[in-house]
Amino acid sequence: MTKQEQVKAIFIEEAGEIIEKLDIDILRFEENSTDFDLLNEIFRGVHTLKGNANAFGFTRLGEFVHHFEDVLDHYRSTKEDVEAHHLELFVGSVDVIKDVMTCELDVLPDLPEGYSECLAKIKVLIASKKNKPNLPPIEEAGELFSDLASEFGFEPQEKIEEAVEKSIQSHRKIQEDGLNLYKIDLTLDTDCYKRGFDHLLFLTLLGEKAKSIESFFDMKNVEPLARFVGDENAISNVSVIVLTPQTQEDIAENFEFLFDNEYTISLIDPVMAEMVIENVEVIVEKAETLERRKVEDRRGADRSSDTPAVSVTVPKSTIRIDTFKLDELFDSVGELVIAQNFIAQNEKIRVIEDESISRAIETLSKITKRIQDRVMSLRMVAIRDTFDKMKRVVRDTSKKTGKEVHLIVQGEETEIDKTMIDSLSDPMIHIIRNAIDHGLESDSAERILAGKSAEGTVTLRAYHKSGNIVISVSDDGRGINKEKVLQKAIERGVITGDEHLTDSQIFGLIMQPGFSTADTISDLSGRGVGLDVVKTSIEKLRGKIEIDSKEGVGTTLSMVLPLTLAIIDGMLVQTAGEIYIIPTLSVVESFRPEREIVHVLKEKGEFVSLRGQHIPVVRLSDVFELSTQRIAPWEGILVCVETEAGRIAIMVDELIGRQQVVIKTLGKSLARLKEITGGAILGNGDIALILNVDALRPLTEASNGGN
Amino acid sequence: MQFDGDVLTIGLDMSMEEIREFEQFVRPRLDYIETIEIEEGTHLRSSSLLSLLVSLKRTRPELGIPFLNQGLTASTAYGTLHWMCHD
Repeated sequence: MTKQEQVKAIFIEEAGEIIEKLDIDILRFEENSTDFDLLNEIFRGVHTLKGNANAFGFTRLGEFVHHFEDVLDHYRSTKEDVEAHHLELFVGSVDVIKDVMTCELDVLPDLPEGYSECLAKIKVLIASKKNKPNLPPIEEAGELFSDLASEFGFEPQEKIEEAVEKSIQSHRKIQEDGLNLYKIDLTLDTDCYKRGFDHLLFLTLLGEKAKSIESFFDMKNVEPLARFVGDENAISNVSVIVLTPQTQEDIAENFEFLFDNEYTISLIDPVMAEMVIENVEVIVEKAETLERRKVEDRRGADRSSDTPAVSVTVPKSTIRIDTFKLDELFDSVGELVIAQNFIAQNEKIRVIEDESISRAIETLSKITKRIQDRVMSLRMVAIRDTFDKMKRVVRDTSKKTGKEVHLIVQGEETEIDKTMIDSLSDPMIHIIRNAIDHGLESDSAERILAGKSAEGTVTLRAYHKSGNIVISVSDDGRGINKEKVLQKAIERGVITGDEHLTDSQIFGLIMQPGFSTADTISDLSGRGVGLDVVKTSIEKLRGKIEIDSKEGVGTTLSMVLPLTLAIIDGMLVQTAGEIYIIPTLSVVESFRPEREIVHVLKEKGEFVSLRGQHIPVVRLSDVFELSTQRIAPWEGILVCVETEAGRIAIMVDELIGRQQVVIKTLGKSLARLKEITGGAILGNGDIALILNVDALRPLTEASNGGN
Repeated sequence: MQFDGDVLTIGLDMSMEEIREFEQFVRPRLDYIETIEIEEGTHLRSSSLLSLLVSLKRTRPELGIPFLNQGLTASTAYGTLHWMCHD
């Protein structure tokens, strides 16, 4: 990937993040349109998006965002009340921004639907607002710049450093409260033009908000024509002095697509009048020094309360890391855990009766566990952002269906594996739409008749349960009509009608492909193609869906997910000398059956009768064709598991225990075995296969055993 | 861009593509140009043009570029811009 492609990829990723945040923030602003801090934040996001879109040639996005930014700027600077229909326009504008971004990325020639109409509305709104005198006309700004140019003019022969220092001093004289003075050094790489960047672009961006801006171009490296390469930057350094109300963070946003070595921003602190801070690192260093002084002062305060405390916030630094690298790190830590277990459980080492060795192994074990926990936590992110996105889904679905909906969100801080978060949005969107469209009553009159409030409630909740994460969507609507579900399932041939299904199994039928009990099909849900896709998506994440519903009271659809995709909580079992791992999530119970409850049905195989239910017995030794002495089910152990096709009882020789294991993918040859999802290396170095319980089927011809 | 006798008049507001075209035009003709004038009311759009003008002046010091001699330009968009050639 070339530098330009790398930068473009960063832009696309960050633009996506900005737009995602806009989507959430604009709804929050719709709820509280007097929150001008939030409006400022929205404005900053739009401003960044505009600059970057134009820099990368996404002119259609740039133009739209430019006008939207004007509108936002008007309201944030005047603090004027935003009328309801204009709020609607804001929300619509964010939709258009999302669509235009897609068009730009897919290089589609046509603009998205609603682009022109929305842009026209924005322009009309700006025009109507411009009649009110709020901002100084640009000519005034021009005059200001010209005046400064003549006032701060210097001889070309002067050294740049002196000229810059002179400019700083001159700007200090006109610095008022609320204005910050910065020195910015641009040392753009030679390929900056090819990457779409230009010194003038940054000066223009800074100039948009600046009270005054002055720049100094060092042209010493520009070669004569014989060695001059037109499309390469030869300007070694540009020093910019800017007086602006913007914060350092705002200023830095203009340069976020440059490499770190291409710019430095220094705040010229009026308090430290004689100090010209060279770069950000120095600021951090200074903050740290002051922090140390603060600690010393605090100690001193114990002796003398006269000493004033110095309050300085040390900047928090973050870096972006490719998730692929994190996965690699996680994998390596998995290997480390295995190696550590191997040492800890090695018989030859264990027999050495040496306290120092035992202590070293114990320390190694603790450190390994700590590293594993910390690396795990790197992958974990709060589900808040995903829940925030769902607010928009609820809002839109509510408007589309004409149903009043109150959304309750609980457990937003619950952390979940980042890889899973990305795959959860679509299933959640579908479930929420389904809850509003079909779960809630048709209208408020129906709800009031049922003794409920006119406004329906949808509750989104995330919590931990038995080592898993549960994300549930509940509605206080009609609930699922079991009879209707059964009738439909029989009509469609999903069941025969002879089965004795539990409530949970009946509710589970609505997730069968093509199954829908909706009387009417809307463009939101009810086509019967959704919930089975939701189920498949959740199962891909090694999770499952549980449905609980009470007619007239409401429905809760819970997605039960593992904490992470890289580790599985498994039950270790042994059969014919081989160890297998059954995912704990699917295990219902394990037991040694009484002889009386085991039956063999001709051509149907072995069954165990458990609380009135006939559960087929699956012998692992049969599935994997292991040569072993065939014993009767009551001489072995049955592990009852929940599968797509209902419960089965897996027959094993022995239960070893429950353990968290790092999942390893299998080679191509083993990948064809549908009964296995992966492998794991155990502490003693042995390899165990992880079972795919949904693919396990009983062999119908059971030759022996049973009565 | 206008070439009148030995005076070449250019606009400062050239795009990157136009700057490259200008470079291609001026390279073989540099010896025939006495002065490069700037169209009034135009403002720099790219630092690349400033570099090119400095390069032309370094190649042929007798070439008159009054704009370059000013050492500064001002615009409502980017404020006051100074350049140092160290020549």
